[in-house]
Amino acid sequence: MASPVEQFKLKSLVPLELGGVDLSFTTSSLWMTVTVAAVTAFLTLSMRGGRLVPGRWQSMAEMSYEFIANMIRENVGAEGRKYFPFIFTLFMFILVGNLVGMIPFAYTFTSQIIVTFVMAATIFVGVTVIGLIRHGLHFFSLFVPSGTPLILAPLLIPIEIISYFVRPVSLSVRLFANMMAGHTMMKVFGGFTVLLGVLGVAPIILLVALTGFEIMVAVLQAYVFTVLTCLYLNDAIHLH
Amino acid sequence: MNCKSLLSLTAILHCSLWFLIPQAKAASGDAGPKLPQLDVQTYASQIFWLVVSFIVLYFLVAKVAMPRISEVLEERQERIEDDLDKAETLKKEAYLVKIEYEKALLSARERASNATRKAQDEITKRGAEVEALANQKVSNMLKDAENRIEKARLEVDSGGDASADTLEQSVARDIVGDTVRKLIGVDVSSNDIDKAISNTVREQTR
Repeated sequence: MASPVEQFKLKSLVPLELGGVDLSFTTSSLWMTVTVAAVTAFLTLSMRGGRLVPGRWQSMAEMSYEFIANMIRENVGAEGRKYFPFIFTLFMFILVGNLVGMIPFAYTFTSQIIVTFVMAATIFVGVTVIGLIRHGLHFFSLFVPSGTPLILAPLLIPIEIISYFVRPVSLSVRLFANMMAGHTMMKVFGGFTVLLGVLGVAPIILLVALTGFEIMVAVLQAYVFTVLTCLYLNDAIHLH
Repeated sequence: MNCKSLLSLTAILHCSLWFLIPQAKAASGDAGPKLPQLDVQTYASQIFWLVVSFIVLYFLVAKVAMPRISEVLEERQERIEDDLDKAETLKKEAYLVKIEYEKALLSARERASNATRKAQDEITKRGAEVEALANQKVSNMLKDAENRIEKARLEVDSGGDASADTLEQSVARDIVGDTVRKLIGVDVSSNDIDKAISNTVREQTR
């Protein structure tokens, strides 16, 4: 029986090498492309009618748009308006990436630590740059929580700095670990089903429940990732 | 808190993951921990395709999808506000019309009651006039009758025979005149008749 983590292995579909660097189009790239196509199709085809009274699909597209618009309004405020396209894209990309990963035989690119880490690091760097541009050196007051007694500063400032720099790690690992753990668990139960033969009905029932749970996790993690991005952005714009 | 529970959920899943890895290793019989995600060889390709697909998606979403959605949402918002405004205007208008109607109704009612009162007054006045006139007439007639009775009585009391006989005399004259004409076909003057009657009366009373 194959290892439960075997599923995360990438297969090169179109070999590509640029300046000695392997940039092959892999299963991961394929499902990123599928995600891009699916998001674009969802957001444009459903709005094609642009009816005043929306149908089901149009309603879903409008709801996801307003969901993120509200999230930014609540967590960042009016200044967050500029970053709406980026955050909306980010949410849809992760959400659909997680969800297409639930299709049997599909690949979940969000279960790759490098993918989530690049996204988290980009956000981290971007947010820090936004904060520095807006507030200059005053930005570093972020590391001194307001109302801190001076005597505690030597203790609190390092903690704040560490927690700040851990953000990209926690943000990326949270998404990666959730997606990986879910898919591994499903694979394990799938393996049990095969091993147990007739008795395999029991793990199948569990697998059904787990699939539902995983779909929930897929949505939840996309939401968490986006909300945390908003909170980091809010920190950079408003400095606590 | 929401975030905390999410973190603990993550932690549980994470632990189960690390619990599974040795099993996975045993199952596959591989030597050494081989988590495919830690294969640095694949990183360049993944980063490259991630950046490419994300940028493409960003432009598709920001330039194609979002303007359309926001346009539709704004249109709807405008339409709703427009409709609300219109409803507000109509409501105001209806209110004004209602007030006008009530005013008209009130004045009509007043006019109606005025007219009724006037008519009633007229009727009463007219009735009183007619009654007064009738009363006047009746009392005149009564007075007249009383006068006549009084006159007659006075005549009877003072005039003696001459006046008392007037009625009898005239009746007797008529009868005598008629009788003579019927009997002998001669018209006799009333003076002659009177003379004759008085003579006759005188003879008889003697």
